[in-house]
Amino acid sequence: MSKLKYKIIPEGMLHDIFVPMSAVFIDYADVKACNLTMREACEKIAATIPGPAGYNMFDMTATTTNSDGVMIDGSMTCMAASDYGKINKDFGYLEMVELPYTEELIKEEPHLKQWKKSYPDRRLIMGPDPKVKKIPIHNATLTGRAGNNNSATEMMHYITMEELLLPITGQIQIMKDGKVELGGTGHVISVGIGMVVGEEYGRIVPHRQFKCGSSAHNSGEYAKLLKSHIPVIAADKSELAKYIIQALQTGVIPGKDIGASPAVLSVARHMGILPDFDNMTQASLDELADVGCTKEWITANVEKLTSEEIIARAHEIIPGIDNPKKYDVLEVVQVKYIEV
Amino acid sequence: MKLMHTKLPEFIRKMKVAAATKGSTYKECEVVGLENLKTAKMQSLRTGRIEQAVEDLARKEDVYRVEVAVIPRIPESMHSAIVRGFDKDGNPVHAVLETINILHPTEDILIHDCPDIDDRRPPIGNH
Repeated sequence: MSKLKYKIIPEGMLHDIFVPMSAVFIDYADVKACNLTMREACEKIAATIPGPAGYNMFDMTATTTNSDGVMIDGSMTCMAASDYGKINKDFGYLEMVELPYTEELIKEEPHLKQWKKSYPDRRLIMGPDPKVKKIPIHNATLTGRAGNNNSATEMMHYITMEELLLPITGQIQIMKDGKVELGGTGHVISVGIGMVVGEEYGRIVPHRQFKCGSSAHNSGEYAKLLKSHIPVIAADKSELAKYIIQALQTGVIPGKDIGASPAVLSVARHMGILPDFDNMTQASLDELADVGCTKEWITANVEKLTSEEIIARAHEIIPGIDNPKKYDVLEVVQVKYIEV
Repeated sequence: MKLMHTKLPEFIRKMKVAAATKGSTYKECEVVGLENLKTAKMQSLRTGRIEQAVEDLARKEDVYRVEVAVIPRIPESMHSAIVRGFDKDGNPVHAVLETINILHPTEDILIHDCPDIDDRRPPIGNH
């Protein structure tokens, strides 16, 4: 018998936020070590959890993008949702796809220029294959009361209808035993997650439907409200700053190559990097201005800082999260093992 | 046969008749999940199969009542929202068409505590 390790945030109150369903985080390396398939690993853990739960499995030796198109050091390999100890056979489990490197891919998705500069030896794993998934729109898995949506970055309970936002950078911190921030998503992140990049196998939106520089939300003054009331478990802003700095140092331009989110813009202006305003739609500029990221704010002659200074001062530089509280990951998750 | 369709009231009546007459005693059958449909044509082949399922359960001595819950097979359904404005006489004068996708619970919420489940549905894509 082997022991499979996983981390779990149980359904219920977590410090000051409400977690509507249990969230489980699994390392693909641990699954391989137990000689299990990814689905088997999810099913075996699910059998021990009677309530609604979502499962996010990571290959920490791979790479992917966050919703801004910023590349990070880890990727989801699969997602699942369970309830009553089971995973729905049709809709409860979904795997992500690995993309081979091609010049055509980099041409069509220029934010991936980061790949060979930041993570040259890592395989790229994006969202699910739209032709494989069985529901029409969202990249979601569902079982009973549990929904694991947008390639495992938001979990929702279909009876209480409560929701939790889990930006992938925060989940990477969970996998690394790093630091996270808990709070309310708020207006700034709500606008920020609309500043997407076009990706054929996008973890949120497939088929390159949205062009970088536009807003996926495209909903004016309502954009800041779309997710603002939902609790969030995000990366410590210093960790988020590291990823954004690394991306910007590869030469990608906000609003042209990567999403011009408030987080990206706030770091970029202290590095002396301007977004490509000409490539940005008026709708995206209006939504940014609505949360204080006006053209004047973006182009303000702020102090130029080194990477180390930005990381050290990330909490004053990067806006977002209502009533944030910082925690070490081990204050947020429980580490568990099951015999397999 | 597959091209034939049953009227919605007839569908409901068939289920109630099956439950009432096929067991050793009279049994109630409630059809839920179709309340927002006033009229519809129900696939006849499947109507017969569901009627057969109601009969099968009505014949069981430990069954006292039957329920047919009709929920979307795919738990994300795409709908049109028809927004209409009416004048003072009740006549529609303006309409806006929109779309909305709805995520809803899977069948597991209805069967998780049931010890005997016979899944007679064809695989998705083979309907």
